[in-house]
Amino acid sequence: MTEAVQNVSQPQIQVENLNLWYGEKQALKNVSMQIPKNSITALIGPSGCGKSTFIRCLNRMNDLIKDCRIEGRVLTEGKDIYGPNIDVVDLRKKVGMVFQKPNPFPMSIYDNVAYGPRIHGANRKDLDGIVEQALRSAAIWNEISDRLKSPALSLSGGQQQRLCIARTLAVKPKIILFDEPTSALDPISTSRIEDLIINLKKDYTIVIVTHNMQQAARISDYTGFFLMGELIEFGQTRQIFQNPREKSTEDYITGRFG
Amino acid sequence: MAREQYVQQLDLLRESMFSLGEIVELAFKDSMIAVIDLDVKLATKTLALEAEVDKLEEGIETSIFDLLALQQPMASDLRLIVSALKITADLKRILGLSMNVAKIPGKIEDGHIKPLTDTRKMADIAIYMLENSLKAFKTQDAELARAVAARDEEIDKLFYAVWVELIEMMAKDTSIISKATYLLFLIRYIERIGDHCCNICESVIYLATAERVKLN
Repeated sequence: MTEAVQNVSQPQIQVENLNLWYGEKQALKNVSMQIPKNSITALIGPSGCGKSTFIRCLNRMNDLIKDCRIEGRVLTEGKDIYGPNIDVVDLRKKVGMVFQKPNPFPMSIYDNVAYGPRIHGANRKDLDGIVEQALRSAAIWNEISDRLKSPALSLSGGQQQRLCIARTLAVKPKIILFDEPTSALDPISTSRIEDLIINLKKDYTIVIVTHNMQQAARISDYTGFFLMGELIEFGQTRQIFQNPREKSTEDYITGRFG
Repeated sequence: MAREQYVQQLDLLRESMFSLGEIVELAFKDSMIAVIDLDVKLATKTLALEAEVDKLEEGIETSIFDLLALQQPMASDLRLIVSALKITADLKRILGLSMNVAKIPGKIEDGHIKPLTDTRKMADIAIYMLENSLKAFKTQDAELARAVAARDEEIDKLFYAVWVELIEMMAKDTSIISKATYLLFLIRYIERIGDHCCNICESVIYLATAERVKLN
């Protein structure tokens, strides 16, 4: 582990000695990380390095996987999300997630965004405002405001992904996790999502897993490099991409790997 | 090893930089011999090096632009490319100043107005600085780069001493003004070359450590 970013004054997410096994196989080895509030943290590393497994620990998505065992602590705002008395549904409201493939529900654009607030008991008369606000924040309102009742699946891939971001924003999370959010999108849609993520930083703490190193370099404040289940290096993005401390980080980001 | 073609392009860039450094070093050394000995023949030979340097520099710039545009270099690769671009510009200026030096012998007839003892000292230090800043680039040696840059002060001191001496000589004997002016230009060229060597040292330190320093 590196010394950089070891002592963030009030981290939004604090991970301490996280170990994770899928059956016999250990997928995360003693990972510790402090993620500052209102920042974008990119996680990079080759396939199978543990970065997606790691991000899924941050809202307990791995709970759904059989034979998955976790040790260590993950604190958000000082509270261990693996501790007793944690309501996982409430946790996932606070820690939203956007996936690689846009996955809108097979319903209207409006209902996609309203879905979360409805199940969390939002007042019917507030819904229109919540939906509009979320769609505006996700930078898609202007494109679809006249067809909110159209099926979400009629949108383009890039629009669907922004709709999924709006759906996440609608339940007012504190943290948003992005798992390769643009890998299925064309360059223009990718740029839109990147701009959007940068804009969201002022209100949310963002963690993004990406295979695209230029994307990590372009949008993130901090970067973590994973290799074979270990967090090899974590630091300011500017430092990681100009002067990595670890040779394996250097080899990976300069493409010398393998 | 992955990205073989890219790695080869970086190696080629390094090699071209070394070649550029060697020619510029030769040009500066020979121009100094030519001006001290007033050897017009050697001066003419030196002036012919400019075309070769121009060609090399153009090739280096093209490969740097290609690498930046097509390969998205990162980490130490990025630092190599950025420092190569900056060092190329400094070497180009050193070459230009050496060409100015090499033009002086053709303009001075019947010997210098004074023995060029201090000027020679300045040139020796500048040659040391050029040689060793390029060596530091080759070996990515930040310590050597710092040590080299520290010697610039000696050149500056000699520069002011010779400057004052020449002004005093001109005040006493106006018939030497033309020749003395060439010598004033000469020491100014050497002093500037020292500064460009300091710039090269700064680039070497960035290359080796990612630290940005001002040594000049």
